[in-house]
Amino acid sequence: MPAYELAIMLRAMPKNELKSSLRRISQAIFDRGGIIRNIENLGFRPTPYKTSAHGLVHREANYFIIKVDTASQAVADLKEEYSRDVDIIRQRVFKAPTDIQDSCTLEDELLPPAYRKDVQKMIDIGKTQVNRFTYKFKYNSGLDYYPFQR
Amino acid sequence: MALLKKIINRHIVNVRIVPTVRLTSNDVKISSSDDAPVEIENPYTKERRQCILCKLNVTPDYKNYRLLSQFQSPYTGRIYGRHITGLCRQKQMQVEAEITKAQNCAYLPYYYKDKRFIKDPKLFDPENPIRPHRF
Ligand SMILES: [Zn+2]
Repeated sequence: MPAYELAIMLRAMPKNELKSSLRRISQAIFDRGGIIRNIENLGFRPTPYKTSAHGLVHREANYFIIKVDTASQAVADLKEEYSRDVDIIRQRVFKAPTDIQDSCTLEDELLPPAYRKDVQKMIDIGKTQVNRFTYKFKYNSGLDYYPFQR
Repeated sequence: MALLKKIINRHIVNVRIVPTVRLTSNDVKISSSDDAPVEIENPYTKERRQCILCKLNVTPDYKNYRLLSQFQSPYTGRIYGRHITGLCRQKQMQVEAEITKAQNCAYLPYYYKDKRFIKDPKLFDPENPIRPHRF
């Protein structure tokens, strides 16, 4: 079961309603055989832009992040169910971030262009792209003058 | 007479006769082991430069929108380019992807920078890009 993060915005509402809607949201995950690892509350704050959902315009929202382990098949189902939920203003599902540590390539990128690997590769490609279609006059073909206009 | 002997003695003592040997390239044996050049790393190599996120080992994340907002222009909300932020290719791509995610989740605005974050410390100077650009 891959790990996902549900980023959910809930509409402004009193605490007991919030509690019940969170319970409803998590129940939907449990019903599809998912596991909740963690629920983060990012607080109640004004949104950076107004959002309209279910016929209402929202300028404030409760932000939650739910870390879920669930089957990939269930995610589309969950999204569909949450889209019908009136309390949810907006929901996004992301794959949980994995740590990929690569060494910094800034030093190579600050080199002069001729020394950079990607530029060298481009030059090599450019050398193969010779125009074969424009005719180039050969001077050893018997004519002792250039027959075309210069 | 005694005085003369004393003087001669002193002089002879002062003048030391050192036997001089003329060295030629044929008979001088310099052992090659102690005088050979030693294989060491170049002590004058500069330290490898790293971008600020790699140096501090920070992975950009859409939940950490305060950090991401530092890569936005305070006037237009646009993401600064690599020539301004001074990030390596990978980190810049991650930052751009995470900012898009954060904007989509309504953590960050699209067209301005959050006024709470305006006075955050500057990670770079947009007026002095590391590479010249046409703007
Ligand atoms: Zn880097």
